[in-house]
Amino acid sequence: MTMGKIFHDMWDIFMTYYIGQGLLWTGLGYTLALSAIAVIAGAILGSLMAIGKMSRFKVLNVIITAFVEIMRGTPALLQLYIAYFIVPMIFTFAEMTPFACVAVGLSLNSAAYVTEIIRSGIGAVDKGQTEAARALGLTSKTTMLKVVMPQAIRNILPALGNEFVTIIKETSLASTFFVGELMTTYAIIKGITFNVIPTLMDIGVVYFVLTFTLSKLLGMVERRMKASA
Amino acid sequence: MHDQNMLDIKNIYKNFGSLQVLKGVSTTVDKGEVVSIIGASGSGKSTLLRCMNLLEEPTFGEVWIEGKLMTPVDPYLHFDVIRASKTYKKLIAQGMDDMAAITKIKAEDLLLEKHSQEGPEYKALMDKIFKENHIDTNLGRRKMSMVFQQFNLFNNLTVLDNIMLAPVETAKYNKVKDLNAEKEKIREQAMTFLKRIGLEDKADVYPSKLSGGQKQRIAIVRSLAMNPDVMLFDEPTSALDPEMIGEVLDLMKELAETGMTMVVVTHEMGFAREVSNRVLFVDEGYIKEEGTPEEVFDHPKDPRLQDFLSKIL
Repeated sequence: MTMGKIFHDMWDIFMTYYIGQGLLWTGLGYTLALSAIAVIAGAILGSLMAIGKMSRFKVLNVIITAFVEIMRGTPALLQLYIAYFIVPMIFTFAEMTPFACVAVGLSLNSAAYVTEIIRSGIGAVDKGQTEAARALGLTSKTTMLKVVMPQAIRNILPALGNEFVTIIKETSLASTFFVGELMTTYAIIKGITFNVIPTLMDIGVVYFVLTFTLSKLLGMVERRMKASA
Repeated sequence: MHDQNMLDIKNIYKNFGSLQVLKGVSTTVDKGEVVSIIGASGSGKSTLLRCMNLLEEPTFGEVWIEGKLMTPVDPYLHFDVIRASKTYKKLIAQGMDDMAAITKIKAEDLLLEKHSQEGPEYKALMDKIFKENHIDTNLGRRKMSMVFQQFNLFNNLTVLDNIMLAPVETAKYNKVKDLNAEKEKIREQAMTFLKRIGLEDKADVYPSKLSGGQKQRIAIVRSLAMNPDVMLFDEPTSALDPEMIGEVLDLMKELAETGMTMVVVTHEMGFAREVSNRVLFVDEGYIKEEGTPEEVFDHPKDPRLQDFLSKIL
């Protein structure tokens, strides 16, 4: 099979199945929906856990640290499998689709990383800033809100953007459970055409365009943020 | 009972793990006094200063600001508290006399080991002293602002906002009725301060755009904006390029002349000699020598001080 033939088939498959049958839009839709849910839920949960980690409650600290370390130390695919089987057992009151299970799994995974991102973002703010604020008689809460957080955000936002890009790629694991995101389209098209390589390359191109555009956008935002200070 | 003294530190001990940095330091700073603290690096002089506003919490001892207690009550500093303890009563019952018992309890640190077991009388007295004298740490700190070696201007705020932040937050804390009018007043005061140091054109600039000398002068003004009763300086010129030290020292001299009470940890012996009323030589966790600049610099008695001075002068 020549390169020319591969490119020709890529174009063919892309136009027939991705555009013609709209698989691009459904696949992209599921991928973006999963990523958005995971990032937003992850950011909220992660922020809460970061706050919990900084609190004086030792037990809370230990629990959160253990959770973060376990989530970071085991494969995401394994976590998704566990979520896939456990989530329906916990949420018995509602029908949990595979999509919902995967969304929960990815959110928890993302939350663990976001916790670390926020913790290290705050940790990277010079200790002298806190000392100066406290020495002026500001409370720890005011110090956090007015001095530390505004500086930590500059460290946190770029890392959060990277986490978003990572999550987009990680959603491909959801294809294991056939939830319909981009990677799932591979199985569908393969079943019809038996033409594996061009299909995979099509998907690769879509992922790349998605993540590349996103990181460029995030880079622009980052530069603008730096310029404003 | 402490009304005369601005700042009163009593028998301060500070341990970092097993490392004893301060081993019982006491001194009082009177209103309008300028006290310089000198000593080699690692002698504990910065720790002493940081204990004064509780950036480091003393392991033992008490810090009083204008007759108000900032630290927890140290039972060893109150004879009546010691006398109220069960340990003391037991020693007396064994036939020991009053002073011997107190000395023994202090020397062997018999109280703090089992704080909770010293009986209700002891606890009631500790609580009473605390309640009658205690001031909230944040309130105490507003009476004595601090200037740091590394300036520590807030990087996320403009120069003007750096100066205004703490006064405005204090106004909010005090539930000032017309906050906007108060903010305007604070802004005007801040601008007056900036004019005084000739940096009014930097009001809307971020700290990253300033020279070290400018940063430190603004940090001093930021402290001044809290209308503090005491100002603490932690090696304010040590991180500056040589050509910028003068402008900062000049501002500090100016402050001293206005009658500001100041405690200055410094390596600038010229400044210590010229401006301060009293010099403390801190070494190995103690105040080894203390006196007027003439006494300390011209007639040092402690051999370690003589050694120290011979190395730097």
